[in-house]
Amino acid sequence: MSNQRARQLLDQINTLAPSNPFKIMNVCGGHERTINLAGLRSLLPGHIELIPGPGCPVCICPEETIAMAIAIALNEPVVVVTFGDMLHVPINTARGEPRSLEQARAAGANIHPIASPLEARTIALRHPTQQVVFFMAGFETTSAPTAALIAEGIPDNLLLLLAARRTWPAVAQLLNRDQAGFDALIAPGHVSAVMGSDEWRFVAERHQRPVAVAGFDAASLLAAICSVTQQAINGEATLVNSYPAVVTPSGNRHAQHLIDQTFTTVDSRWRGIGTIPASGYALKKKYRLHDAHIHFSKYSAQSHHKDEMPPGCDCAKVILGKEPPDHCPLYGTACTPSNPVGPCMVSDEGACRIWWSSGLHKQRRAKQA
Amino acid sequence: MQITEIDGDLASCHSGGITRTVNLFIFERGVLKPGDYVLVHVGYAIQKIDPEAAQLAWETEREMQGAIRGDPNA
Repeated sequence: MSNQRARQLLDQINTLAPSNPFKIMNVCGGHERTINLAGLRSLLPGHIELIPGPGCPVCICPEETIAMAIAIALNEPVVVVTFGDMLHVPINTARGEPRSLEQARAAGANIHPIASPLEARTIALRHPTQQVVFFMAGFETTSAPTAALIAEGIPDNLLLLLAARRTWPAVAQLLNRDQAGFDALIAPGHVSAVMGSDEWRFVAERHQRPVAVAGFDAASLLAAICSVTQQAINGEATLVNSYPAVVTPSGNRHAQHLIDQTFTTVDSRWRGIGTIPASGYALKKKYRLHDAHIHFSKYSAQSHHKDEMPPGCDCAKVILGKEPPDHCPLYGTACTPSNPVGPCMVSDEGACRIWWSSGLHKQRRAKQA
Repeated sequence: MQITEIDGDLASCHSGGITRTVNLFIFERGVLKPGDYVLVHVGYAIQKIDPEAAQLAWETEREMQGAIRGDPNA
C-alpha cells in the first residue's frame, strides 16, 4: 500500500512545475536516511532540490562540551556514559591530546557507550560509590526521556553533562538570515510527535514558507514534498501535517510538562552555526547537584574551543544546508566512516554518514564547477 | 511497538518478533493500555500511535534494513 501511494504521489509531483528551482530542507537524520535509501532525489523532477539541514544533534554538539567530557573522563574518578556515536566525534586539540572520547578511552578513561538514559541510571545504581556522568546530546525526542529519567528519581551519584537542543530555534535562525537557503521545510516527525506540529506554524506564518510534518516512510515524505510544492505554486504558505497517525497539533503534553519541570531554556552554541537564542536546555537550579556543567566547571573554564570544524572539513556548510555532503573536498577521500574527519561522517544522523551508507561513495566534483 | 503488559511505569512491548521492556513515564498513568501501539525512542514510549501507522513503520524499517543489506526482495 505504501509503495502504491508513493508512486501516485511521485506522479503527482512530476506534474508540478514551480516557476523557479525549489529547495526543500529537512532537519532530521531519519528523513535524510529515507530520502537516500528510497532514492527520492533521483526520482523527483530536477527543479526540486532536497537539502539536509541541522538534523543531527551529535554533529552540532559544541566542541567545548565534548572537550569538557574528555577532560572530566581523563582527570576525574568517574564513569562517563554517552550515546555510542558521540564516542567517535573528533574535535580540534593540540597535537598529542585525545581528539575524541574514544581516544580518551584508549588512554585509560572510564567511558561507556549506552543506548538509553535508563542505562545511565542502571550503571549509577550498580556503582553507588562512584560518580557517573551522563553526557547527553540530543533534540527534544531525547530531551523528554532525559527529563523523565530525572523526574522519576535520579540516583545521587548520577550527573548530567547536557548538550540538549531544541530544533525549531535553529530553523528560525536560518530563516532570520538574509538568505535562508531554502524555500520550504519538511518538519521532523518524531520531534513533532513530542512537541506538536503547531511548533512549526511560525515557518508559514512569520516567514511565508510552506511547511509539512513528515513521517519516515517514502509515502509520507512524498506527501510532504507534494504539499509544500503545491503550496508554493499556489502562492500559499501553511502548515500541513503529513504524519497524522503519530503527530498531533499539541504533541505529548505530559512530555512537555516533564521538560518544563526539569529544564530551563537557555541560549546555546551549535557547532558550525554559533550561538542560537533559546535553543538549548539546562538543568533547573533544583537539580544543580546533578549538573556536571556546574560540578566540573573548572574544565569548562579551560576550554578555548571555538566550535570550528576540523581544517578542510565542510561540515559547517553541510549542517547549514549550503552544500551537499559530497561537495566537501574531504568526502570519501580523507573522510570516511572508518576514518571520519568531521562529525557529519560520524553519527548515524549525520548527512555525510547517511549519504555514504546509502552507497554514494564518490564526490560529484563536476557539480562544483 | 505494541504493549502486551503494563506493570507500573514499565511495559512489555513487542514488534516484529522482538520483545522489550519500555518505560512509560512520559505518559500519565492510565493513558496507555495493553494492546496500544507506541513510538519508542531510547527506551521510552514517546507517543501513542494508531495501529496502521505502526504496521507501516514496521514495513518501512524492514524495507530499509533490506535496502541496507542489498536484498532485492525487500
